[in-house]
Amino acid sequence: MIADTKEIFENYATAKAFCLTSAFWMMVATFYGLLGATELIAPDLTANIGGIVFGRVRPTHINLVLFGFVTPGLLGSAFYFIPRLLGTPLYSERLGVATALAWNAALVALVATLAMGMTQGREYAELIWPIDLAVVAVFALAFFNFTMTVARRREKILYVSVWYVLAACILTACTYALGNVIWRPNTGALVGIPDAILLWFYGHNIFGLLLTPLSAGVAYYVIPRATRAPLYSHTLSLLGFWSLIVVYTHVGTHHLLQVPVPTWLKVVAIVDSVAMVIPVMAFLINIWYTAKGKLGEIHADVGAKFVFTGTIMYFFVSIQGSFMALPDVQRVTHFNNWVVAHAHIGVLGFAGMIALGGIYYTIPKLTGRPLFSRFLADFQYWMVLIGMVGFTIVLTIAGLIQGNAWLNGETVYRVLPEIHVYYVTRAGLGLLIFTSALLGFYNVTRSLLAKRGAMP
Amino acid sequence: MKMTPLAVIVGSVLILATIVFVVVILPYADTSKTVPSGIFRQRTSEEAAGRATYIANGCVYCHSQSVRTIDWGLGAERIAQAGDYVADHPILLGSQRTGPDLSQDGGEHPDDWHLAHFINPRYTRPLSLMPPFEFLGQERLAPLIRYVQSLGLKDADKRMARQHFWKAEAVKAYEAGPDANVAWLNAHIPQGWRAIPNPYPTSEAGLARGHKIYQDFCLGCHGPVGDGMGPAQPWIYPPPLNFTILKNREISGGILYYQIMNGITGTAMPYFKRDLESEKIWDVGDYVAVYFINESDANSEPRGIDAAYEP
Repeated sequence: MIADTKEIFENYATAKAFCLTSAFWMMVATFYGLLGATELIAPDLTANIGGIVFGRVRPTHINLVLFGFVTPGLLGSAFYFIPRLLGTPLYSERLGVATALAWNAALVALVATLAMGMTQGREYAELIWPIDLAVVAVFALAFFNFTMTVARRREKILYVSVWYVLAACILTACTYALGNVIWRPNTGALVGIPDAILLWFYGHNIFGLLLTPLSAGVAYYVIPRATRAPLYSHTLSLLGFWSLIVVYTHVGTHHLLQVPVPTWLKVVAIVDSVAMVIPVMAFLINIWYTAKGKLGEIHADVGAKFVFTGTIMYFFVSIQGSFMALPDVQRVTHFNNWVVAHAHIGVLGFAGMIALGGIYYTIPKLTGRPLFSRFLADFQYWMVLIGMVGFTIVLTIAGLIQGNAWLNGETVYRVLPEIHVYYVTRAGLGLLIFTSALLGFYNVTRSLLAKRGAMP
Repeated sequence: MKMTPLAVIVGSVLILATIVFVVVILPYADTSKTVPSGIFRQRTSEEAAGRATYIANGCVYCHSQSVRTIDWGLGAERIAQAGDYVADHPILLGSQRTGPDLSQDGGEHPDDWHLAHFINPRYTRPLSLMPPFEFLGQERLAPLIRYVQSLGLKDADKRMARQHFWKAEAVKAYEAGPDANVAWLNAHIPQGWRAIPNPYPTSEAGLARGHKIYQDFCLGCHGPVGDGMGPAQPWIYPPPLNFTILKNREISGGILYYQIMNGITGTAMPYFKRDLESEKIWDVGDYVAVYFINESDANSEPRGIDAAYEP
């Protein structure tokens, strides 16, 4: 009986499946990004291949990054640390693996349907109804598995990472269903201005209630473990957790400041966007004070290095995000590549870095062996970091050129040649990120699948 | 605070529910009763089919439909009102402007310009980075063009009526032969403009700038040698003007300037006053006059007081 439990406990099939899922879809997602970036500099290169026309490539890239690469990566480590933190095996590894399989099936369907032009046409909510149902179902299944594990826990106290993972799964299941207007299967949309308000409420919650809490959960686990230091403050954990849910959910309308929506709603969105400083700094101070004086330990563990870098990017993207919600700033930044740069700091620099860090921190614990190659993981770290920072620089410059030129009365068409060179550089950096994903997949696969004893 | 599973799960769901009430349901109560604006009308079934094609191919990722108080350029004649969107299901505001805003695109160009543009956007707009949509085929391009021509609704309908009227006139003039066509074109330019020569002297630098403008804006229709045989030509009727027949037909610098600035509604010739400032229009006009017409009136009388920069 005990041996049996121990075996399941050390098996971690679900965590492995999600890590592998993330590493695989990171390749596909970044390939789509590279393809889209290439099409913007050479639009006739893929002329008249309907399945990969830019307008279908872009949503595929975004959905795969969100739901194929980052979310499964973060869940991969969660399926490891939740049982560890609760002192009990996962409620059902079989259910967990089934969830991962369903997840992958949904991702395949996502790529196929978007390539065929089957889309509901709303950013982050493109997927057609059957896939929407599948996404809600997999979040619900993950939530069920985690909750049942919590119910069987042997450790009485719930650590902050557990709060974040539970909240992320249940709140995302709710807002995903709401934001995709799941009660209207044919269109998945409301009509007119209310549709825009609901869409951006949901769209921003993908970051606020899914990527951020899962990333915070991973950081709260990895940083204290890697530095062998107790968490700095329980009070800050509480403040960060509750204020995140209260504040982040109010900000969606900052995407609509220049649109005729009710002014009071814009005021709410702007005020809460600035107030985002509270959950962000509560989390960061907590993590950074925990790691204070222990950067050597963080450098020694490549997973922790990814995660810690992700927290620094969280600082930049969040402060920038508060700034961008100010109407005067948006006069320049709205509708152009500044926002694309912002999105890449957030999703690749923050959540993506932490997802990768969680995977690399967790895999040696899952297998009981070191990583196949620490060097490759470190190499990937630098490729992602340079690529991401490079994206930020060139796309921010391109955005400032566009925004200021438009404000000055130059037409969109006139500005295209002015940003061409930045688009070329961006595609080059995209190649760097895509290559890093190939190396990462090789490393993760060799680390997870090598037979016991096969290693030297 | 003791964080029990119940506190975490029920607490966070209750907070979410409260916030949904504040930032989704209250605004819904506020905005769902929006009355249609003055330009609103329902779309025809063909326009709706075109909109479905627009959505399926992700046009929304590069084209906003959301004109702001700070905008210039395409569509900026009207700032968006909530009542413009009352039938949009889903709403297609967009989040990026890699291409121009299309809120008021209906009637900006005749249908044949759009067809050439969809076959390959660089045929009509050489700097465009939009993908070619020839793969959609006529059966999906036709409704798509109807949708694009409906953007702006009642305002678009007025512009389309203007396009149809002048298209018929332009075709009649073209079919009457080159002499009658040029006479018709000139006759519709205000007398004041017809009498003005290009007031600035021809210079090597000015021709080089004009050459660049020509390549970026004109070459797709009028062709690299100005004979009207650019790649867009097969899709456009009346076809692009052949500049090489214009010698001795009283084409002044002012006529060229006016046609570039204002376009020729009804034909595929767009107005360029939003894309090009004054000096650029004079430069490209003189480039056409010198190289393709082989007859430039640059710097001839009456030219007024010479500009300060002239050598």
